[in-house]
Amino acid sequence: MSKNTRDTLFRKVDVDQYSEDKFEEDEQGDGTVNGVGPNEAEVQTLLSQGKNVDALKVALRNPPVTSKNQAVKDKALQVVMRVLLQFKSSDIDNAVKSLDSPTKDILMKYIYRGFEIPAEGSSAQLLTWHQKVFALAGLGCVVRVLTDRKRV
Amino acid sequence: MTEAHSFGVIPITCHAWNGDKTQLALSPNNHEVHIYKKTGSQWTLEHTLEEHTQRVTGIDWAVQSNRLVTCGADRNAYVWTFANGEWKPTLVILRINRAATCVKWSPLENKFAVGSGARLISVCYFEEENDWWVSKHIKKPIRSTVTCIDWHPNNILLAAGSSDFKTRVFSAYIKEVEAKPEATCWGKKMTFNNIMAEFSNGGGGWVHDVSFSSSGEKLLWVSHNSSISVVNAAVDIQEVHTSRTEFLPFVTCLWLTENSFVVAGNDCCPVVFSCDGTGNISFCAKLDDAKKVTNTKFTAMDHFRSMDKLGSSSEDNITKLGTTHQNTITQVSVYKGTKANCSVFTTTAVDGQLVNWDVKSLESSIAGLRIC
Amino acid sequence: MCLENFSSQVVERHNKPEVEVRSSKELLLSTVVISRNEKERVLIEGSINSLRISISVKQADEIEKILCHKFMRFMMMRAENFIVLRRKAVADYDISFLITNVHTEQMYKHKLVDFIIHFMEEIDKEISEMKLAVNSRARISAEEFLKQF
Repeated sequence: MSKNTRDTLFRKVDVDQYSEDKFEEDEQGDGTVNGVGPNEAEVQTLLSQGKNVDALKVALRNPPVTSKNQAVKDKALQVVMRVLLQFKSSDIDNAVKSLDSPTKDILMKYIYRGFEIPAEGSSAQLLTWHQKVFALAGLGCVVRVLTDRKRV
Repeated sequence: MTEAHSFGVIPITCHAWNGDKTQLALSPNNHEVHIYKKTGSQWTLEHTLEEHTQRVTGIDWAVQSNRLVTCGADRNAYVWTFANGEWKPTLVILRINRAATCVKWSPLENKFAVGSGARLISVCYFEEENDWWVSKHIKKPIRSTVTCIDWHPNNILLAAGSSDFKTRVFSAYIKEVEAKPEATCWGKKMTFNNIMAEFSNGGGGWVHDVSFSSSGEKLLWVSHNSSISVVNAAVDIQEVHTSRTEFLPFVTCLWLTENSFVVAGNDCCPVVFSCDGTGNISFCAKLDDAKKVTNTKFTAMDHFRSMDKLGSSSEDNITKLGTTHQNTITQVSVYKGTKANCSVFTTTAVDGQLVNWDVKSLESSIAGLRIC
Repeated sequence: MCLENFSSQVVERHNKPEVEVRSSKELLLSTVVISRNEKERVLIEGSINSLRISISVKQADEIEKILCHKFMRFMMMRAENFIVLRRKAVADYDISFLITNVHTEQMYKHKLVDFIIHFMEEIDKEISEMKLAVNSRARISAEEFLKQF
């Protein structure tokens, strides 16, 4: 057939998609419950008061992991990045220590997401953050960023 | 303490012990199965079983009836019986069209289960009138390759982990060969293929290994997001206790007693965890203290040798890891005792080593390690 | 770099790096980018039995661009001697490594990691050295040429 018509398009038809036991992603909610992203105003107030650690905690609350809306995710990333870049490198250690382990996982996800969109001077700061989180949460934290389907 | 044996540099994909632990079947990452016998402290190769045409993925030894079952990437499984000084294979009709990934005898050794890349589990039993092994399929709702299986001690229930991030408990009751089962804490309805429970650890990550505890009440699994999960069906069948560890992903797990278990994998070092009555997991100890391998005396000779060999003179250029195993641990199995009270267990790894770990003597030498 | 031997579940009796064939999305890991700035980036794509690391090297000016291109081409032509090198770089990147479970079985994992890191450290140095060499050669040849007049 391919010889006669010189048509090779049929080779690219994905027949497996019709297989009934094909893997499907779990149904993810549209993010009305806990996928709204952090409260930007609250973060901003805390930052202006110089309470960086509290701002970080608020920023890491309600990560939009289940949201399908890319704009919501980008917004959340911006908020978190603003907080991360506020820190002096000497304060990072204490900030990371005050977080519990699921929150560290979320923070690590944001750090990797931040690497994808490099800005002036952000990468150096992110590398410092990465180093500190890694020292406390270990390799498991990095592996979870890789394996987790629910991205920020 | 620990006792290491090396079988060359080729990875050991899987291994199994016979009843009195004098013989060992292992596969050196190819189509062969080697049977070793221990004489003194030496291992001698007794038999080489060559029937598979592709890599062997699973071996299990039925300890009471002294039969072996092997499965491979060539989609076949063989049951081997020992007679007149040699092992005779019998082909099992699995009816699968992808590679088989794992195989386990049921506790009573009248059935076995084979997991496969065809997104199903074949439960095989012996049919007397036709004189062959036939299989029944557990299919729904597995969405990806079945990576690991384990039998409940009641010979009926079967746990399976798969690369679609889920762990499931099925009923593998075959009415042709066994009496009607009694209800367990996993549920009452036990027709074949009935799904008793389905768990997810939340964050994705392929399930690498599952294990029932000796009572059959607790189910343990390890997955690729470095987490360990336990469900205690006697307390609450819905509640999954997950511990997200700081190690690299674990590949294999085993109960040492009813309340503690060992996990091992990409970190090359077995780690013991314990869990309380409800199933909360807590870290006990690493069994291999990863001491840094340092040359106590760094001589000028070594210096020039490393310059010559590696083209660098840096002193931290050490090839050897601090752990006993030098590469990923592939399997953990009981050597002495049972799942309820294991005193020595065995690990095999990609570095071609087999190591026996004596739990009792480790317990006295490592602070913080309490196995109860 | 936690890989295992994994037979294809899509094609019968085959075994292929899932990161390349991308046939079953549940077997792939999230991709990760680590960047120092716009130019210098590392892309890491993982899967159940293979992983792909792509590097984008700093290229400040035209000469560095040409040098980098030629150098990578030189290496990729000889990819089979480097074992873990991919014959073609992933789009937008300068060079890619493909590491499969076979490699992690034959070689020490920590040494493979060391190699990649060593490569990344050396490549910048290498290119700037080559740039200096090219410049000095150009100066000498120009001097010789101008002596004739």
